[in-house]
Amino acid sequence: MRRLISISILLLAVLLVLPGILSAVGGGYWFRVTTTIGVFSILTMSANLITGTTGLMSLGHAGFYGIGAYTTALLATKLHWPFFLTLPVAGVVTAVFGILLALPTMRLIGIYFAVATLGLGEIIHVTLLNWVDFTRGPMGISAIPGISLDGLFSASDITHYYAVAIIALLAALVLGRLTHSYYGNALRAVREDDQCAASMGLNVVGLKIQSFAFACFFAGVAGGLWAHTTGYISPGDFRFSESILILAMMVVGGLGSIPGAVLGAVILLGLPEVLRPIGDYRMIVVGAVMFFSILFLPRGLLGETSVLSVVRRQFGLAWDKTLNLGWRQ
Amino acid sequence: MTPLLEIKNACRYFGGLHAVEDFSGHVKRGERVGLIGPNGAGKTTLFNLITCFTPLSSGAVFFDDTDISSLKAYRVARLGIARTFQNLRVMPNLSVFDNVSIGALGALGHSPLAALTKRTNYANDIGRRTWDALEQTGLQDHASELAANLSYGKRKYLEIARALALSPRLLILDEPAAGLNDTETAQLAEFVLRLSGEGLSILLVEHDMNFVMSLCERVMVMASGRKIADGSPQEVSNDPVVLEAYLGSEEEAA
Repeated sequence: MRRLISISILLLAVLLVLPGILSAVGGGYWFRVTTTIGVFSILTMSANLITGTTGLMSLGHAGFYGIGAYTTALLATKLHWPFFLTLPVAGVVTAVFGILLALPTMRLIGIYFAVATLGLGEIIHVTLLNWVDFTRGPMGISAIPGISLDGLFSASDITHYYAVAIIALLAALVLGRLTHSYYGNALRAVREDDQCAASMGLNVVGLKIQSFAFACFFAGVAGGLWAHTTGYISPGDFRFSESILILAMMVVGGLGSIPGAVLGAVILLGLPEVLRPIGDYRMIVVGAVMFFSILFLPRGLLGETSVLSVVRRQFGLAWDKTLNLGWRQ
Repeated sequence: MTPLLEIKNACRYFGGLHAVEDFSGHVKRGERVGLIGPNGAGKTTLFNLITCFTPLSSGAVFFDDTDISSLKAYRVARLGIARTFQNLRVMPNLSVFDNVSIGALGALGHSPLAALTKRTNYANDIGRRTWDALEQTGLQDHASELAANLSYGKRKYLEIARALALSPRLLILDEPAAGLNDTETAQLAEFVLRLSGEGLSILLVEHDMNFVMSLCERVMVMASGRKIADGSPQEVSNDPVVLEAYLGSEEEAA
């Protein structure tokens, strides 16, 4: 019953109260900020499945986000596909890319996995930047149609808000079921001690690939939403710094927590907007929030495991002599 | 009837180090076997070979007539070999219940589809297995506590509970009595005896000789990677070769 009440409050707030307030304060700009927060909430929730729950530090999430965005943009501008096809296709294409790119890295552990995914993210970014014939390179893709359905709704701030909000809620539902279930326990076991998990009959490599595939699917959908709602994308949107931003949102919100991921996105994207009156000093405040949150809230606001312990484990694996250096057989 | 576990000429080299060399041995169904030997004899390496944590350099391991030598560790676990670790490896950030559910997940499989469609039968099966293992080990009152908050002795039982949730046919215990006081050791021996009474085969490494001698029906002795003796506890404890391996030869002692 309590669960039912809290879910209805959440739905009411996201679907009625928030758009109401945004329209009342004059829409436009604040709608854009909110949809950006929504897109990054999906990204952070999905990255959280890999990093927070399965314990693999992924630094290439922006790359997968980019694959989703470019898939959507190309399908929508060249083939004129509607959003209800582009978004799922973008998710599936990204998941397939995620699996193919991740396969060779799955035996890597700890910091080595992080560096490999950093490399993957960079490869994707550089490809988007230089494959001019296909992606238009640094010029980016413009005039991507918004989210509209003939006779029902046309592309507008409020439509985009609802599209992002509903997909974010769906992502939270799916990722929530994956993490708060026995399946989630299996993923957490991989995070806590992968060798021990294997000796208890868990297919560790399989679990890692699955969590990567689910996370990439939602990163791709988030990319698609970004393309549709902004109308213009360029490789600059999918740089390494975006991966770090996603990681920072996860750390501030708390590893392994879905509400935490949303909270992290709200804080790290909302704060710079609220602080706009103080000009460029606001980025110092944002940096300070990250710095102090890791010092005084090592578990983040809502995390289930301490960031420092995850990092320590990641680095610790690098010089544990009893293990194969950097990878598992 | 062939033995449940049969190790044939197992060898494992780490570079020039012969950690396990030409080891042959077996565990019969329902048997309690002890593996003893001085430090560095290769006991834990042998356990890692049996559970396919470490690949064999040569030789073979058969479990229930199946050659498991080239299988992945998780496949071996699913066939029915569960183990505990010398240095406890409980998952500190998970609750006791969640820790034990890992074993049940290993036995029943883990599909994301089951989570997405909320398959209740599957969840109930895992829940039931987990509770059974918790009750067997007397941890049911601690189910919701974080594993990190358990006492050392309780954590030992948590590891065993997690292994039992796999419903293994062979339970491998790596130094189960290390760090326990006499009362706790006696309780543990009684508990292992009860598991054995339920038909579970047990292979254990232990340095506490009273524990091994009172509990095990047969004892294998390892030194420098080789098996040097195999027999009943009485036979082994009077074997001059064993005494020499533990205490040094008589000439040296004199």
